[in-house]
Amino acid sequence: MVLASAAALPVLLGTASCRSEDLFTGPDPLTGPPRPAPDVVTLEAVIAAEHTMIQLYRAAIEGDRAAARAHGLEPLLAEHEQHLARLQARLLVPAGAQASPSPSAGAARGGVTISRLRAAERASAAGLVQRLGPVEPALAQLFASIAASDVTHVMALGG
Amino acid sequence: MTAVTAVGSVPALQAALAAEDAAIFGYGVAGAHLSGSSQSAAEQDWTRHNEARDTLTAMISALGATPVAALPFYRLPFAVHDAASAVALAAYLEDGVTRAYLGVVAVSDRRLRTFGALAMQACAQRAAFWRGSTQAFPGLGT
Repeated sequence: MVLASAAALPVLLGTASCRSEDLFTGPDPLTGPPRPAPDVVTLEAVIAAEHTMIQLYRAAIEGDRAAARAHGLEPLLAEHEQHLARLQARLLVPAGAQASPSPSAGAARGGVTISRLRAAERASAAGLVQRLGPVEPALAQLFASIAASDVTHVMALGG
Repeated sequence: MTAVTAVGSVPALQAALAAEDAAIFGYGVAGAHLSGSSQSAAEQDWTRHNEARDTLTAMISALGATPVAALPFYRLPFAVHDAASAVALAAYLEDGVTRAYLGVVAVSDRRLRTFGALAMQACAQRAAFWRGSTQAFPGLGT
C-alpha cells in the first residue's frame, strides 16, 4: 500500500503541475539521505585513522611480544582504544546506517616497527591539529586532547 | 580578526596566562626540593613557562586587553616537602596549564586554536615526563 502510494506520487505531482523540489525547502527525501554535515565527515575520517592506528599497534604487539612489552605498547594501545570509543560516541548514526567507516584493509600488513609507530603517532597528531579549524568547539577540544596524547606516545616510544 | 572572535579569545588567553603564572610559581617551589637531572628538568620547564607567559602577554596586549597580573603567592594543592611531592607538583602544574590551553582551542579563531593545541602538546609531554606515564585525554580527563 505504501509502495503503491509512492509510485503514484510522481503522477499526482505531474497532474498538479509542480515538481518535488517545489514542495520541500530542505533536503529532498525522494533523492536519498542528505549529505553529511562537514563535522560528521571530519569525524568519520578521524575515526578511520584511529582504527588504522589500533591495527598498527595490534600488529606490532602480535609481531614481537617481547619488544611490545619492552616498549610498553599495550598501555598505548589501550589509550588509542579509548580515543576510538570517545570519537565514536560523538557520532550519531541513523538506524540502519554503518556505525563508522571500515578500517582500511592491509593498513598494518608487514612488520610494524617502533619507528613506524612513532611516525604514525606524529602524523596523527599533526593531522588532528590540521582538522581543528572548522569543527565545533567541543570536537576541536577532543581532537586537540587526542593529538596531545599522541605526542606523548611518541615520547613514550623513545622519540 | 573580528570583534566576536576577539571577545572569545581574550578570556581564554587570560586563563592560560594565569595558569602559566601559577606554574612559574609552582616550579620555583618544586625546584627547591629537587636535585641533579630532576632539578635541571624543572629549571628548563620553568624557563619554558616564562617564555609562554611572555608570548601570552604579548598576544593579549595585541588584542587590546590588559594581561592579568601574576599573584604574589599561590596556594599549593598539597604540601611539598621532598622530591616525590615536588615531582607530583610538577605533573599537577602541567595538567593545569594543559586544561587552560584546552580553553584556547575552543575559541573561534583558527590560528588561536592551533596555538592552543600545540601549547597543550608541550604541557602534556612535560606532564608525562614528570608522571612517568601517558594519558588518553590530556586536559580533558577521563
